Amino acid sequence: MKYSAMLVAAGVLSAGTAFAQQGPIKIGVLYPLTGGGAVYGVPAMAGHQLAIEELNAKGGILGRKIESIERDDKLNPAAASSTMKELITKDKVDIVLGGLASSVGLAMSEVSKQEKVVYISTIPKSIQITTDKLHKYVFRTSANTDQEGDTMAMLAGKNKLSKICHLELDYAYGNDLEVGILKALPKYAPDAKVVLTLKPKLGATDFNPFIPQVMAAGCDGVLSGLWGPHFVSWVKQAAPLGFFSKIKWISGGEIGSHEIAGELKAEYPDNVISNTYELWYHGNDPSHKEFQAKLAKKLNTQETPQWAVLGYIGVMYAAAAMEKAKSTDPDKVAEALEGLSIGTPVGKLTIDAKTHQANIGQFWGPMVKKPDRAYRMMEPAEYIQPK
Amino acid sequence: MTLTMFTLNAFYGLALAMNMFIIASGLNLIFGVLRVINFAHGMFYMFGAYITFTVAKTWGAPFFVGVLAAAAALGLIAFVVERLLLRHLYDKEHLMQLLFTFALVLLMSDAAKMIWGTDQYSVGYPPGMGGAVNLGFVMLPQYQLFLCVVGPLIAVAMWFVVDRTRWGRVVRAATQDREMLAALGVNVPMVYAAVFTIGSALAGVGGALAAPRIALVPGMDATIINECFIIVIIGGLGNMWGSFLGALAFGFVVQFGTVLAPNWQDVLPYLLMLAVLIVRPWGLLGRPEAGH
Repeated sequence: MKYSAMLVAAGVLSAGTAFAQQGPIKIGVLYPLTGGGAVYGVPAMAGHQLAIEELNAKGGILGRKIESIERDDKLNPAAASSTMKELITKDKVDIVLGGLASSVGLAMSEVSKQEKVVYISTIPKSIQITTDKLHKYVFRTSANTDQEGDTMAMLAGKNKLSKICHLELDYAYGNDLEVGILKALPKYAPDAKVVLTLKPKLGATDFNPFIPQVMAAGCDGVLSGLWGPHFVSWVKQAAPLGFFSKIKWISGGEIGSHEIAGELKAEYPDNVISNTYELWYHGNDPSHKEFQAKLAKKLNTQETPQWAVLGYIGVMYAAAAMEKAKSTDPDKVAEALEGLSIGTPVGKLTIDAKTHQANIGQFWGPMVKKPDRAYRMMEPAEYIQPK
Repeated sequence: MTLTMFTLNAFYGLALAMNMFIIASGLNLIFGVLRVINFAHGMFYMFGAYITFTVAKTWGAPFFVGVLAAAAALGLIAFVVERLLLRHLYDKEHLMQLLFTFALVLLMSDAAKMIWGTDQYSVGYPPGMGGAVNLGFVMLPQYQLFLCVVGPLIAVAMWFVVDRTRWGRVVRAATQDREMLAALGVNVPMVYAAVFTIGSALAGVGGALAAPRIALVPGMDATIINECFIIVIIGGLGNMWGSFLGALAFGFVVQFGTVLAPNWQDVLPYLLMLAVLIVRPWGLLGRPEAGH
């Protein structure tokens, strides 16, 4: 009786595994699809889907179709963590991609460590993901706060800022970016002094408590980590006071992206130098044109958002690692990712075997008016890649 | 703090208070008469802002046409919701009403996603309001000055309608004794519908007027509803001037508090509410409920 039960169980189990091997490869992905983060999560998901479609059209990974299981992380670490656990235990995904907020990325990395499933952080930038909190199964294909801080410090030196006001959002990304900037500032701008540091909260819409303080501090430049809607609200409230005529605004957080320039149009202020992962109107690699055309077709607009490329690269890395490992086993895939190089729409990237960080760069430059356009464009856009 | 900084902060506190009052007054009116806690009020606010975006930016109409369109659209949505659905819930327990308005939030948030997608939007200042007025020792942004004028105007208008007109008497009577009012031949259901419509239109106006000074993103409804509840509770549930005072307290505490104690910016409004409730559990101008 006992034996027969065990035999049946064994039979079910082996049938289960046999079935799983013939079934599709399951890629779990989390981006914020509702609430404030959806502004970026939705285009990132579009890039993710584009990559899956491309791969499936070519026969999938290891000859198996890919099934993309897409979930909303709600920009909330707790929600992301429980959703990711469900993806792993219930949906049995082979790998997890995504996240947007650094706080969410850190939470997802923790789950990946516990569950021993590979997680590729495609947008979160907190340096902790690839330093203090680094483990075998976590990798990053976006930039990080040390890189971004280094470039911002370099730009502060290049623009000869002497009195700096520092603005960061008060959460993982802002705090880590501040550390990154302060670390690099003595190297590039030894004479510059940070005269004021302010930290509005994540999700703030009212910057009136901060704007007068910056204007009264007498700084010649602002180093800012206010991204997306935070930057827009700041501009709306500060511009009537003539804020941007006197102050150079050097910013991380991809406010040099076309999404922001295209929305603010004539309201986009002067004196802004910022970054973006990708520009629909300017590439640094021959493959960019084809990628952009496909994305434009998918999204039905020529002026495509920069976030898509991050979702796209994440999937391409997952696929390349599984092909290299000839397996979906998390340990083998993690080993395959170490030192792995692939071609992407922004050039060839390599994941460092030790830090698990891809050497992805960003376009940096001033946002200038164009006579024939309703919006500003980044020009010249310089692709700055970490060594 | 110098005189310039103090003036500027006081002014910003006032402008924030007035914008918040316009939104919270609608929530308060609805609660005062209908005794319904409308969780969807924040969503109405967001719709007001998005509709203004569509009318003023996509269609290119003047900004104030956008504001009127937002008021009209939200009034219409609210009227339909009240007549078709909400009116069946007045006799039910509060939990049912809460669940209903919460369901409305979910439905409308998906509707917003279908209509406007998830992009971030921006509405320009109306012409002639994008600059600042120079008073010599301080510069005051024109648009926020405008908010400081509109807020009290709406407060006075509401006071006049509710306290000085026949219709206002009926509304006040409806808060006291619904059955008696109906027995006197007043069409109480229509009074309720009108109040829900006006209260929701105010949320639409509040969103429309907030639109030029902030980024419009999905999820902008979530924080505003909390802040409105805080203001209404501080002021005293159902009391219009209470909401006005509550909004002022909120505006000044948030503005000055954030400047002086930036690390406390998240909890400041809640601390304010806590402090008021300890001293006056029924709010600044509210009355203790009979029988408690």
